Amino acid sequence: MLFSAAIFILLEVAALAMLRSSSTMQDIAINRASLRTSAALWGAGERFRYHFRAEKLNEQLAERNAELELALREYQLQEAKLREEQNSPYPKLRDNYSFISATIVKMSRNGAHNFIILNKGSEDGVTPQCGIITGEGVVGVVSAVGKHYSYGLTLMNPNLSISSRVGDSGVTAPLVWDGLSSNGAKLSDIAPHLSIEPGDTVRTSGFSTIFPAGIPIGTTGKTSHVDGSTIQVDVTLFQDFSNIHYVTIVRNLDRSEIEELEAAGENSSAR
Amino acid sequence: MRINEYTLKFVLLLILQVLIWNFCNFSQFLMLAFLPAMILFLPVRRSAVSCMIIAFVCGFAADFLVGAPLGLSSLALVCVAFCRRGIIYLTLGHEVFARAEDFSPARQGVSKTILSITLATALFLLIYISVDSAFTRPLWIDALKWALSLLLSTPLGYYCTHLLYTDNLRSSSKWR
Repeated sequence: MLFSAAIFILLEVAALAMLRSSSTMQDIAINRASLRTSAALWGAGERFRYHFRAEKLNEQLAERNAELELALREYQLQEAKLREEQNSPYPKLRDNYSFISATIVKMSRNGAHNFIILNKGSEDGVTPQCGIITGEGVVGVVSAVGKHYSYGLTLMNPNLSISSRVGDSGVTAPLVWDGLSSNGAKLSDIAPHLSIEPGDTVRTSGFSTIFPAGIPIGTTGKTSHVDGSTIQVDVTLFQDFSNIHYVTIVRNLDRSEIEELEAAGENSSAR
Repeated sequence: MRINEYTLKFVLLLILQVLIWNFCNFSQFLMLAFLPAMILFLPVRRSAVSCMIIAFVCGFAADFLVGAPLGLSSLALVCVAFCRRGIIYLTLGHEVFARAEDFSPARQGVSKTILSITLATALFLLIYISVDSAFTRPLWIDALKWALSLLLSTPLGYYCTHLLYTDNLRSSSKWR
């Protein structure tokens, strides 16, 4: 059977060779077909190689993403400095955040208290109370750190509250997961006289030592009154928690100084 | 003696095929081909390789004598020769090869013989017409030519098979 197949291929190749030399039209068609075939084979080979390179490529992209985040942050700070210099004689902002790329090792999504484990730990410069973000928005906060891994709470955890600012109105409020869906959260403790339009972008306020200001979180939705004293706003999160593999850890380099200052302030007011 | 008679008939039919392709061009939508049936019903004892070589030589001779691009008929006929065993298994069953007896349309059954000729001719025409047009003609023209040619070539192929194996029918009448 194998011998027959070999003879068959041989005879067909001979026929094609004869056909090619005896007719221009068939020659063109055969050339075109052979070019298409070789292009398809090259394409398939390239896709095959790319498939096995994809993981390494993704890691490189994540690293690059962290570098770009850092560069972007520097530009934002420069812009802010320039603006402040225009308005005030004293520059106030300085670059106090570092960005570390990480891969998610484990992540719970269906529980009531969801968590995340990342492949970067204290040896990589991660400390507790570092923020976890992606290009789409906020993911969570690191709460415990090992040598090579870190553990964090995701936004899908009711114990995590993030200081947020709403669009142009500038209203700041804590944002907490609604506990129902993977992309739903609530802004609470907002004074009832403040009006918040649906569709406004919610970003980090920068009032905590975890996240820099301006990182997108989601968009506002329906507003509802709570006990007549405050209002609560539904937020649709930008981050899709079902399709996430690479993240960036944000670390505030001045956090310990700020916390020491807070502690000193509390002690002096207690006296 | 019988082999010589068969060979003579085969060569005469090949010449007839060449004459038809040379002088009986009724329409651009029609191509009468009984060569595939002749290749399909080469004697059973012939191996697949020898059938393919016969198909190649016949195709080459036909193209050379007709003035068609050399290799065109060979390309299609070698495919028929390669699929010959499969087509016969599919339509006539394994017994044909198991008994190693020569074909006989009457013994194998008219409908089965016609079905096998249809498959072989369809394969031949498909390759021949598509390579001949080099994918430059609209598909519907090629499809129409294929359908019309298949419709008329199949009975012609059956008749040629009948001519090739008439003697077998007579000699096998006792066996039947």
